Amino acid sequence: MTATIDTVHLDPRRNVPGVRRVGFREALAAEWVKFWTVRSTRWSLAMLFLLGAGLTTLVCWAAAAAIASGEAGESPGSFITWGLIFSQLTALAVGTLVITGEYGTGMIRATLAAVPRRGTVLAAKALVLTGVLFVAGVVTAVLGYLGGNWFLDREGVGVALTDDGVLRSLLGSGLYLAGLGLFALGLGLLIRHTAAALTIGMALVLVIGNLAYVLPGEWGEWVAKLLPGNAGSQVATAVSFNPVALGPWTGFAVFAAETAVVLLAGYVVLRRRDA
Amino acid sequence: MIVARGLTKTYGEKTVVDALSFTVEPGRVTGFLGPNGAGKSTTMRMVVGLDRPTAGSVTVNGRSYADSPAPLREVGALLEARALHPGRTARNHLRWLAASNGIPRTRIDEVLDLVGLESVADQRVGRFSLGMGQRLGIAVALLGDPPVVVLDEPVNGLDPEGIRWVRNLARELAGQGRAVLVSSHLMSEMAVTADHLLVIGRGRMLADCSMGRFIADHAASHVRVRTPRTADAEALLRSRGLDVDVHGGELRVQGVDAAGVGDLLGDAGLRVHELTLVRSSLEDAFMTLTADSVEYVAGAHTPTVEPVREAQAVR
Repeated sequence: MTATIDTVHLDPRRNVPGVRRVGFREALAAEWVKFWTVRSTRWSLAMLFLLGAGLTTLVCWAAAAAIASGEAGESPGSFITWGLIFSQLTALAVGTLVITGEYGTGMIRATLAAVPRRGTVLAAKALVLTGVLFVAGVVTAVLGYLGGNWFLDREGVGVALTDDGVLRSLLGSGLYLAGLGLFALGLGLLIRHTAAALTIGMALVLVIGNLAYVLPGEWGEWVAKLLPGNAGSQVATAVSFNPVALGPWTGFAVFAAETAVVLLAGYVVLRRRDA
Repeated sequence: MIVARGLTKTYGEKTVVDALSFTVEPGRVTGFLGPNGAGKSTTMRMVVGLDRPTAGSVTVNGRSYADSPAPLREVGALLEARALHPGRTARNHLRWLAASNGIPRTRIDEVLDLVGLESVADQRVGRFSLGMGQRLGIAVALLGDPPVVVLDEPVNGLDPEGIRWVRNLARELAGQGRAVLVSSHLMSEMAVTADHLLVIGRGRMLADCSMGRFIADHAASHVRVRTPRTADAEALLRSRGLDVDVHGGELRVQGVDAAGVGDLLGDAGLRVHELTLVRSSLEDAFMTLTADSVEYVAGAHTPTVEPVREAQAVR
């Protein structure tokens, strides 16, 4: 242990001479380091990739013959981003943990002491999250497409990138997963508790989303269509399995609006509450 | 320099910090003393903008913490050792903090070395002992080489060697011209570290003075006298204008030293069986000062732990 402290010649009344005002760039760099230095995010992204690309390939292998014979009664375009159903889970987990992991451990106090402007913290977190999830989503979708299409091609029902909606669904996978991450981030800010936020996020996007389709009448149909998972996932599928669904970009716009509301509510809470 | 004016924090009905006004001056260690639950931590959290004051204000170097161009370079704070993710290594924890305030990465090794954690820098902090966590917290506080350092209960969980190290560090930081605010619930800790004292109880300021002043004001001494002729001795001492209390068979005389009492009694031909100068400890002074403001008091049926205290206490 050294007894002396290395220090610049210190004028105690200095207002930190020579110190550049730090802002969004530094906050972003900090969030970037934070994101990659915990195991949970690395694991989650590996799972996202394996489940997404792996299951798409697997289901295309299993269903190729049935699609080709017309037995499946579905378009091959419905299968080439199939694994996304599972990638959704990990995107929600990553988005939730980015913030509840900090509340759970007390880290949030270090974060807000380092970057007292809470809007900056949230914006930096959101940008890292969306950037990583978008790239992960697109890469996963592209590799899933390549793997799955190889089997579809063998049965003569392969889809080309230029086919209607295919390229859109691959980029859309990135958009949808990034959106889910933000949605979960908003929920995490509101709930602050990993298990609770994760449960509510998954229930809302996956469970309630699917259950809502059994609601009766036109009213029920609209509820089902507008639920975040149902609305947002359309952009990530080339041909929807579900006849009751919004158009891809209409659906994504609805989902984006819903995400914005949750995130805004989360931001207000972050601003107001003591850390 | 930290300046608080009328700083107040209420949670619902409960006032945790009650109109505190104080200044933490550069170049000295300011001890922040109070029983558990007195509002020390809440006050410190308000200094670094984690909690929003209900009323009043606190500024650091003349502006609110959030307005600082690079907060970690202005105030270094150890608020709780466990404000970190257990899965991250010590070095990575410092890395993101450095990145957040544009602090050069070379500084990370400097502070790791300074707190003696260089050998465990790449271990996950979840495996750190309380003392190691505390050292990492201090490394975080010093990362930005800040002119203002805030340490909330820094010696918690440290071994005696670590405690001595923190004391020296606080003194050294103040010696370099920094403003240092150190909280503790132990008077003995402050007595050896602080130049200036802020004592609070139930969120209120009970004392804001130099350490020397506090000792002079609160740690009074008296001379204990035992004599077979208590009543005569009491009358004599009182006739000389001295302050005398009778406690059972003993007299407690204030405002004079043992020799003075002995001379007076001797001149009067009174036999003396005991003549002792009794100094009250600072701990007692602190207890006395905060007696009315402790948040959690052990039940009246609790046996007295320290029978010696009776003999030492100053009335």
